[in-house]
Amino acid sequence: MDNSEELIKAKIERLDTAAAGKQPDRVPIAIATTFFPAKYAGVSYSDVWNDNNKYIEVGTKFARDFNWDGLSLHRSFESVPLGLALAGYDADLAIGVAVSSVLGGGASHDILADVYSSNPGRELGDNVESQWVIDTPVMNADEYEDLIAKPFDFLMSKVIPRAYKNLSDLNSPTAVGALLKMGQEVAKFPAFLMDFVGKMKQEAWLPWYYALAPNPLDFIGAFFRDFDTLSLDLYRKPEEVKKACETLAPVLAAVGKLTGTISRDVTGSRRVFCPIWYNTYLSPDKFREFHFPHIKFIVNELIEAGFTPLMSLQGRSDHLLEILGELPERKVILWFDKTDLSKAQEVLGDKYCLAGGVPSSLLIQGTPDQVTRHMEDTLNKFKPGGGFIVSTEFNGMGDAKVENVKAMTETVMRLGQY
Amino acid sequence: MEDLTNAVANIEEETVLNLVKQKLDANVDPYEILEALRKGMAEVGNQSGEGNYFLTDLIMAGEIFSEAMEILMPKLTKPGGEGKGKIVIGTVKGDIHNIGKDIAITFMKAEGYDVVDLGVDVPAQKFIDAINENNPQVVGMSGLLTLSIEPMKEAIDAIKSANLRDKVKVIIGGERTDQSVCEHVGADAWVNDAVEGVKIIKGWIG
Repeated sequence: MDNSEELIKAKIERLDTAAAGKQPDRVPIAIATTFFPAKYAGVSYSDVWNDNNKYIEVGTKFARDFNWDGLSLHRSFESVPLGLALAGYDADLAIGVAVSSVLGGGASHDILADVYSSNPGRELGDNVESQWVIDTPVMNADEYEDLIAKPFDFLMSKVIPRAYKNLSDLNSPTAVGALLKMGQEVAKFPAFLMDFVGKMKQEAWLPWYYALAPNPLDFIGAFFRDFDTLSLDLYRKPEEVKKACETLAPVLAAVGKLTGTISRDVTGSRRVFCPIWYNTYLSPDKFREFHFPHIKFIVNELIEAGFTPLMSLQGRSDHLLEILGELPERKVILWFDKTDLSKAQEVLGDKYCLAGGVPSSLLIQGTPDQVTRHMEDTLNKFKPGGGFIVSTEFNGMGDAKVENVKAMTETVMRLGQY
Repeated sequence: MEDLTNAVANIEEETVLNLVKQKLDANVDPYEILEALRKGMAEVGNQSGEGNYFLTDLIMAGEIFSEAMEILMPKLTKPGGEGKGKIVIGTVKGDIHNIGKDIAITFMKAEGYDVVDLGVDVPAQKFIDAINENNPQVVGMSGLLTLSIEPMKEAIDAIKSANLRDKVKVIIGGERTDQSVCEHVGADAWVNDAVEGVKIIKGWIG
């Protein structure tokens, strides 16, 4: 696109205005989806995951044809614990290692042989979406104290050898070789990043997010323990869990600021993705005790550094809306999946920008007419006054019908103007 | 027995396990202890329905129930299965998530049902084989992801083709299921919540 720079500026303005709870020129549409663009371009999930050239091909075609205000096509998270283990040694290297999977694709999965993910074209079929399941936790219930006392040493000596099969013996040729290969991969990354971002920008692309700040409780559940065992720890080792979260919070806030700086400098987006996962599964009391304090700490750190926390409240947060109302007003985007958006608007709408409104199931099973009608209703309800961004459930639309996604986009462009 | 039921309902691990041991030592009928544990689990289910307990709490309650059953099991001498009903359950093909399915199984067992667990990534044919082999009244299909929806439909279509659909009720569960998914795949009911699923099954087969 010839006027891509101006279009990007307009998108930044549109999203930032909505994020501040104000009324932009049109309701923005911003979505994270890894696999739908592959389906749309007729490229296999395996190729978009494992082949950087295909990834760029798919991304640019999708950005050109749909022209959303925000689009994120992240891939995986396998190298994040290794990056974190290096955070005390060299922060820039740590970030490079961490984002080499998030933005760089399946190479680190192949090199490290992590226990976390099953990926298309590897453990799964060519067109099956990547899945994240820990078979056996890589941290034991009695190791919280070690994590709290010396987090980086503990990660490198205990977690890393268990999380990555090829690093199980750090003195072995396999492990040293894998780390050297990771080094090569990380060294290639800046050139890939510039290539991807450069070509995407020509299509007037702005990311929905290009930076990441995980929170401690979810991080422990996703990378160290697993869902079940951390649930038990909340009952059996509450103080240890809290202390571990306190230990990790400043490190994860720093990750958010460092990746946020890259995002701001390279793409122009100040949004930092804050994925929130356990919320659905915690009572309000437990959310307040174990989850929210650290989320709030990270959010405040990001805001102070000039970033906009994009809080992806995955699953349902209907029971937590009052607590979310303690977040800084007009400074964060509350992006909901299955939470009742009308209820969220009632409780939070005048103080926060809300994002969401399109169920995955509608895009997957509905008809274009149903989608259009749903979008008309959604815009009628949430558009007035601004502070609303159309989005779908986090990474939940891989199987959507192309004609439905077109109908969603077309309706926002047609009726979203203020 | 109220003390034990209440301790289960309040998710108090140490108290529950101590009480089970104390009662066994005092020669209390193990079936009365089992009944008290089940009542406690039913109360946990009620509290979950009322929005007081969430999945992390249910996982702890399920763990306590399993630990108590381990202590109790050697004392339960009557033949297993009380004829309350049989359920075949699995996470559908392509999906390897087990948390939702496993918590559903715990609550089904606490309710007294026999459960045949087919595991994760279960192809349609395995559901059919399990129906033929076990004659369940209910088939449960679990799936966390949107990609689970089509495999659910394939499995239910295959059950229809095998002329088994009239013999079983089918319930689907998982984060991405809703009424439209339920209609699309041809299930009898859908849930986002394992305890709610057990209630629906109770409505079907008692």
